[in-house]
Amino acid sequence: MSAAAIGSAELTALLPIVTLGTTAVVVLLWIAFRRNHAEAVWLTLGGLSATLLALAPAAGTGPRDVTGLLRIDGYALFFIALFCLAAIIVVLLARDYLRERAEQPEEFYLLLLTSLLGASVLAASTHFASFFLGLETLSISLFPLIAYATRDARALEAATKYLVLSGVASGFLLFGMALVYAETGSLAFGGTAPAATAVLQAGAVLILVGVGFKLSFFPFHLWTADVYQGAPAPVTALLATVSKGAVFAVLLRYGVDAPLARLPMSETVLGTLAGASMLIGNLAALAQHNLKRLLAYSSIAHMGYLLLAVIAMQRIGPALAAETLGFYLAAYTLTTLAAFGVMTAMSPADREAEEIGDYAGLFWTRPAIALLLTLSLLSLAGIPLTAGFIGKFYLFIAASHAALWPLLGLFVVGSGLGLYYYLRVIFRMAASVGEGTAPGPSGALQVSLGTEAALAFLGLSIAVLGLLPASLIDFLAAEALR
Amino acid sequence: MNVDRVQVESLVPLAIYFLLVLGVVGVMLAIPRFVAQRRRSQARDEPFESGILSVGDTHLHLGVHFWPIAIFFVIFDLEAIFIFAWAVAVREVGWPGYLEMLVFVSVLLAALVYLWKLGALDWRTRRQQLQDSLLSERG
Repeated sequence: MSAAAIGSAELTALLPIVTLGTTAVVVLLWIAFRRNHAEAVWLTLGGLSATLLALAPAAGTGPRDVTGLLRIDGYALFFIALFCLAAIIVVLLARDYLRERAEQPEEFYLLLLTSLLGASVLAASTHFASFFLGLETLSISLFPLIAYATRDARALEAATKYLVLSGVASGFLLFGMALVYAETGSLAFGGTAPAATAVLQAGAVLILVGVGFKLSFFPFHLWTADVYQGAPAPVTALLATVSKGAVFAVLLRYGVDAPLARLPMSETVLGTLAGASMLIGNLAALAQHNLKRLLAYSSIAHMGYLLLAVIAMQRIGPALAAETLGFYLAAYTLTTLAAFGVMTAMSPADREAEEIGDYAGLFWTRPAIALLLTLSLLSLAGIPLTAGFIGKFYLFIAASHAALWPLLGLFVVGSGLGLYYYLRVIFRMAASVGEGTAPGPSGALQVSLGTEAALAFLGLSIAVLGLLPASLIDFLAAEALR
Repeated sequence: MNVDRVQVESLVPLAIYFLLVLGVVGVMLAIPRFVAQRRRSQARDEPFESGILSVGDTHLHLGVHFWPIAIFFVIFDLEAIFIFAWAVAVREVGWPGYLEMLVFVSVLLAALVYLWKLGALDWRTRRQQLQDSLLSERG
């Protein structure tokens, strides 16, 4: 791993990540000399667009291992593109959200860029060092983002909870990595051991515990609802999409690369986590009256569904598993962003519209926003003609090819339960105006053109992915895990 | 597997030592319970501060100036660590290594510029800053 191994081709492959890092430094210096909200937003958007443009030359270099820590291939670049897109939407949402609330909104974009840098490194990592580095860059950027509204006690509480639990999870992860290293003698994912000793298995389980915390699988899910509720709505959107997507991307890569993940024990452990998450997440969501908490518990269930793709990977091969994961995560990201985008657009300056009651009669007061939220909730429930349906269909195929019948049963039961609480919100929106307390256009935040464009794009893409999924599917089939 | 067993056997003295430590500490804590006299008086119940009477409340408000100092320490300390590691291998890594170090140091430098501009290097307390600005307005 000498430094000379980095040539121009490697640098081209790293271009998206380098662009992100450069943008973060430029925004940092810009804030130091000229504190201006609009300029920070434009610089960030420019940097993110430049990163998206840099993906093309990076893809041209083909799948390439850079320094043994990262592998830049179609899989990594797809996720980097997805995260950049999500970040652009979060920037547009945050601009309106922060204008009224934060005294110094500029650092928000800086932290967003560094968290994105961490997520991109995670999506490309093939080595425990880059895995941990990416995860910490992502998490440490998220702590101040969650507490960005420092005058809100709940945000501080949420950030502290996330900080402490993330620290504990990182401890588990590091200990697991150390045990695996002790047995295999290599920090690369592909390291092999002569036998599946107890130490090796303990290491694999500890790594799973650490990852389980970040993805909020069932026994490690207790932080999710509080953190989702306490964080500002755009940050919750980022947390629910980019942070979880990046960890899932690295989990599948680890599962494909590491012989270790193919121990029979890890299938049992993963299966238990997935089944319990589906069931507990959906059951807990039934009792929620707060839309943020409802989405938090439903995200636990969705993470459980997604784990099916990782479990099935051993039997159906990495290509189909990566395709499933890619499509489902893309659909889930767009859908979740739309839900939290609506929440941001609905929130008055002094609080967030997070109670389901806030949305009563929305169809009569703001039909366009109500339609978008309906579309997003239907997509989360997996109703046909939405992106979520195709994602669930993919998971269904993957799980049935792999003959994971008990988990498939839980998947169906969980989706049925999900339909109930998603539809409850939609019915509430269709209720007549008199009985609800909808804030209405006057009380709600002044929505700018940027937010409107972002929301329109999200609604359109959810519908397009549901109606014409072939475009993304063809792309994924050609690019996934080369 | 064989290696594991040998390691476990070599751990036995350590385990005995650990148990002995626990025993000694337990005995030392138990002795005063049975031997010592117990009397109570006002002077006896006060904390012993080497003869100085303890005065006042311990819940003081301390300024958090140590916080930026800690951050600066981490920045420069980490920088030093990585530069040390680079210095060991400076001939082997050559110019590419030099460039990488340059990038690393300049990113940290950018962070320092940011903190400087933010006023993190201004060690005065808020009250001192206010006094200074009032003084400069007058004179």
